[in-house]
Amino acid sequence: MRSEIETNHAIERYSNMIRRICLYHLKNSADTEDVFQMVFLKYLLYEGNFETEEHEKAWFIRVTVNACRDYLKSFFRRQVISLEELSEEAASIPPEQAKVLDTVLTMPVKYKDVIYLHYYEGYSAAEIGRILGKKENTVYSLLSRGRAILKEMLGGDL
Amino acid sequence: MDSMNKIRDAFDCIKAGEELKASTRDFIYAARRKEQNHTDSREKFGRGKSVFDTYPVFRRALGAVCAVLLMFLGAGGYALLLEPVAYVSIDVNPSLELVLNRFDFVISATAYNEDGELVLENVSLKGKSYTDAIDLLVESDVMQPYLAGNSALTFTVAADNSRKEERLLSGINNCSGCRRHGGVSFSTDISTVNTAHESGLSLGKYAAYSILSGYDDSITTEDCHNMTMGEIHGLIESHQHGDGAGHGDEHERENHEIWTETGDPTENDTGNAVENTDTPIYENEKPSGNSGGHGEEHGQGHGSGHGHGHGGR
Repeated sequence: MRSEIETNHAIERYSNMIRRICLYHLKNSADTEDVFQMVFLKYLLYEGNFETEEHEKAWFIRVTVNACRDYLKSFFRRQVISLEELSEEAASIPPEQAKVLDTVLTMPVKYKDVIYLHYYEGYSAAEIGRILGKKENTVYSLLSRGRAILKEMLGGDL
Repeated sequence: MDSMNKIRDAFDCIKAGEELKASTRDFIYAARRKEQNHTDSREKFGRGKSVFDTYPVFRRALGAVCAVLLMFLGAGGYALLLEPVAYVSIDVNPSLELVLNRFDFVISATAYNEDGELVLENVSLKGKSYTDAIDLLVESDVMQPYLAGNSALTFTVAADNSRKEERLLSGINNCSGCRRHGGVSFSTDISTVNTAHESGLSLGKYAAYSILSGYDDSITTEDCHNMTMGEIHGLIESHQHGDGAGHGDEHERENHEIWTETGDPTENDTGNAVENTDTPIYENEKPSGNSGGHGEEHGQGHGSGHGHGHGGR
């Protein structure tokens, strides 16, 4: 089990990332909060060691993605909620960014992780493949198609 | 570069607030204290107010909480959650075995060959309900090469009572992954688990070996360890059809086409399988929809469809 200090540091370091991943998967704040808390509970109880901070970050990404998928499957949540209904975010997000986020939220789930991990976290296709357990070529294909979908939905603004 | 900036700017707006972080700290440290208290005093577990009642998030996420606890709880305290009561063997060429607790959650997943080990390195099944685990496994990228073509996705269950076996089989047959890939499901005697493991085989592969060795006693467990389920099924069918050799692949291909096209072996029945009722073997043969019929009649003909033999009841 990890110490309180170590866990608090992890919460500060990774909470934004985990919230983003939860939100684009689950699309509502209540479910996001549930999975967010479960991810950190898993971290607190996890007895393995991380060789580097990058290793730890990859673990968090993998656990969060899996937790979101399990959560969706277990409870058959298929709501499609636009960003406007996420009241705590809507007020603070400029319209241009809200449009992009809305679009990502409505994308098929298989594109969201690769789009986020590549365009926001800056991972390469090979690194994304290792984190998500996918082949590198698969990641390239998903990135390519995901980008095409975004361009189409955003009217070429991307 | 401009596209990256737009996506980055958009996601930059999403942050975890201080309230969420504070509530998370409260939640996880309270959960840890509860776990430590439960470990000290087993009387609290299962009676009256539990951690599931105390925290609203657990009421809404009972299954997910069980999954977390199953993954990380130690040997003391939660014996009920960690007691193995059923086994689900998943064999194609990867050979895997899931051990389930009484709530049908996976408490361990073991690989019985290198392909199985590769799969488990890429897919986390522990702590999930068995149906979620199966869907996750069968739909994972790492499994896809093994499910192409004439693969024989085979699920074999063993439980401590027939009602649980029926329920597990029904759940497996209703899994989207099983349906989509033409999986077949069977049950076998739980008493064969130890023998299977001592032979280095999963429960399902050992059951198939038992049948095949009934036709050909030169076959060893080592032979079967190196064979795919499709190959084993092919050999069994070739013995059942009296060919002995040479037609296994053809029948395997034909039967797999039946399975994958219709999901129901009786729809495009060639007639051979129906007639071949000498050795029944797997109690449940339909890839979708459990037709029941477990166990009492072992050794007597009740087969339709594949008609594979089963050992041990």
